[in-house]
Amino acid sequence: MVRPRALENTRVVDFSWVRAGPWATRWLGALGAEIIKIEWPENERGRLPSSTTPQNLEVNLNTSGNFNDTNVNKKSVCLNVRSAKGLEIVKRLIAVSDIVIENFSSRVLRSWGLGYDELCKIKPDIVYVSMSGYGHTGRNHHYTTFGPVAQSVAGLTYLSGLPDQPPAGWGWSYMDDTGGMYGAMCALTGLYHRNMTGQGQHIDLSQMVSSVPLNGPALLDFTVNGRGSRRSGYPPGNRAHWPGTPLVNNYRGPTVAPHNAYRTDPGGYNDWCAIVCHSDEEWQRLAQVMGGPSWATSAKFATVAGRLAHQEELDERIEEWTLTLGKYELTERCQAAGVRALPVQSAEDRVEHDPQLRHREMYLEMEHPALGRHKVQNVPFKLSETPAENYLPSPLIGQHTQEIVEGLLGYSRDELRAGFADGTFWPTKRARFPYMEEMLQ
Amino acid sequence: MTDAAPPPGPLTGLRILELADETGQFCGKLLGDLGADVVKIEPPGGEHCRQIGPFLDDIPHPERSLSFWYYNTSKRGITLDLGTVDGGELFRRVAATADVIVETFRPGFLASLGLDYQTLSEQNPRLILCALTPFGQTGPWRDYLSSDLLHMAAGGEMASSGYDTADVPNAPPIAPGGGNAWHMGCHFAYMAIMAALVHRTVSGQGQYIDASIHEACALTTESAIANYVYRGETLLRQTGRHHAPAPTPRTQFRAKDGAYVTALVAGRLNPRYIGELADLLDTNGMAGDLRDPKYQDPAFITANTSHIIDDLVAGFIASLPAEEVYHAAQERGFTWGAVRAPEALIDDPHLHDRGFWKEVEHPELDRSFVYPGEAAIYNGSPWRISRRAPLIGEHNVEIFRGELGLSAGELCVLAESRVI
Repeated sequence: MVRPRALENTRVVDFSWVRAGPWATRWLGALGAEIIKIEWPENERGRLPSSTTPQNLEVNLNTSGNFNDTNVNKKSVCLNVRSAKGLEIVKRLIAVSDIVIENFSSRVLRSWGLGYDELCKIKPDIVYVSMSGYGHTGRNHHYTTFGPVAQSVAGLTYLSGLPDQPPAGWGWSYMDDTGGMYGAMCALTGLYHRNMTGQGQHIDLSQMVSSVPLNGPALLDFTVNGRGSRRSGYPPGNRAHWPGTPLVNNYRGPTVAPHNAYRTDPGGYNDWCAIVCHSDEEWQRLAQVMGGPSWATSAKFATVAGRLAHQEELDERIEEWTLTLGKYELTERCQAAGVRALPVQSAEDRVEHDPQLRHREMYLEMEHPALGRHKVQNVPFKLSETPAENYLPSPLIGQHTQEIVEGLLGYSRDELRAGFADGTFWPTKRARFPYMEEMLQ
Repeated sequence: MTDAAPPPGPLTGLRILELADETGQFCGKLLGDLGADVVKIEPPGGEHCRQIGPFLDDIPHPERSLSFWYYNTSKRGITLDLGTVDGGELFRRVAATADVIVETFRPGFLASLGLDYQTLSEQNPRLILCALTPFGQTGPWRDYLSSDLLHMAAGGEMASSGYDTADVPNAPPIAPGGGNAWHMGCHFAYMAIMAALVHRTVSGQGQYIDASIHEACALTTESAIANYVYRGETLLRQTGRHHAPAPTPRTQFRAKDGAYVTALVAGRLNPRYIGELADLLDTNGMAGDLRDPKYQDPAFITANTSHIIDDLVAGFIASLPAEEVYHAAQERGFTWGAVRAPEALIDDPHLHDRGFWKEVEHPELDRSFVYPGEAAIYNGSPWRISRRAPLIGEHNVEIFRGELGLSAGELCVLAESRVI
């Protein structure tokens, strides 16, 4: 029996590019919506530049590995929306769609004549999600972001690092991932509301603004207690508290020790294990796992106050032990005894060595016409009646132009050919991919 | 806020039961701030994460946890011991009124009480139950213990974050702070719940959701998995910037006031950009040799990348306070930003223009406090905090008596035997 998908019969016009917007529509696609990605090769950002093309392939619009993982479950239509004819076609598409989503700068869609008021004339109950850097409202709406800039301006970067050192920050665009999550969350919320009331709306999402609520407790510590994060001992690295500085909660959880990452055997770049004890009882269990060394039974480590006060020595002693074991064996021994421990995992570790992710089928292979067969990141939740899954590899650029223009919108083959000839469906001076020639047969 | 009766939020009319600790309470907040009637069910005496600081005026008390306050806005609160016979029965009755249950118990706990989805959905087929747990309901790590730090380790966040060796020799991988493992899990749980709700508007049927925080974290490292899958690469940690297979030019620079600026320059360097950069740096007389015609040659630019970034850009940023660099750069089209401590956001005029900060009344204290507001502005049905976090058992009378019809005497008996 073929299971239904949660968003069956939902159509999304997807103008998004780079990462945050495509990460949003990736999930709507996995949930069963038809995602129609509107692209134009002359100002494409997301396929190129590519730093994830396999070494044995030519870098071109269809060979970015990261684009493939970010754009599964979508169709691609090439359309010059800046031409009158292209705009007319995209309006016909919007008229038969439920959601419009984009992550351009704040005035771009309006400048094309596709602002929210115009969208409503085309489709009165449209759900329009704009995902700009600073939002469409507010004096800095014209500012631009990439993930790292949003993270810096909104206070997230500052929360990551060792005291008295520059911020370590986030080693990737956390707010492209998370901004994408909010894009999908807003689209789903707007869709639910439309189904219940018949009313669409414009949801004005901002990557920078959506970062700020992720600092909630730190912000309340300031607005309520007047205590800022710019203070001695903060941020405390991987610890809950930095020795020798005032005892203040660090917004990650309880203030406890041990609470750190420790080197493990054989001492390679990612050979680390995180260990945390939330209580004296958990500490006693850790001491047992370590073989009950005499130092661990010392009275100064018996209470959380003592372990915090002697954290430098505690961490050194624990690391002497962790260096004798591999990170996975360490994890298993600790967890078997009821001690909180997990390995630091690289991407290779997650894909190849993590038994839980393997059991949960987090990385399943998919065939892509240009890239071949590779593992793609799966969905982190299981819906019992409408399972979300990856069912299409990422589209080749313009792969579905014919399917959508002829099949969905009812244009003729001659009109398709004319559109290719006049630069509506592909730049006239740019070499076409073979699959485009096939469309014109 | 003076607007008398704002329109209802997009999730108005939904009844959510939240049985969640620190791992899942943010999901309930999202649902509540978007208009759902979220009833938080805590064990008698209150959820243990009320013990997590910081606390109001640094006085520890379960009603004074700012962390609890923040993550439990727009909810009502009742107490119930599900492990008792009466508690289980009352839970079944409340569950019959629910659209969604969000729970973070260890796998199998609700089933051990006879309160699994199968049983609850018999009386309420429209029910959606989302179990959000560290590792999901199945698999070899199912019963492992976790914490935010542990999830950042196993999820891959730490492997990507840290320092250049030149900045901090022998630095460990760094777990970004703020409790973001819980945010990642809750974002995906929210998404799964909304998908089930949308589907229910068509099918009329509820369903069960098994959501995993570990998987959510493992999915939140941008291109790291693609770098490995397509190219076999392991990524280096770098100070304040992206992981990369080989070292890349720095992007974080110290400003005159000691704060840092994130300035993305490398990868954008071409003659036109150099001209714009010279204009920006000249606003403080710091353009150096950038106007020299030799920069019209892309090969010369490439050969002098280090000079441009480490001398000129770094020098310009060092000559001005971080906020001034940020605004001067953005006004000229540069995607740069100041690295701010969270408290600096309070004075950001852009956030004020968006009505971002919200006064939330705490009537029992006769005070109100400023809270961060919403990630997005909905023009038809607003996302907004409707009330402060519930006190312990604050709505026991309202719900057990008002909705379930218990008598005053019955409620007292239940309290005395610590069922509520």
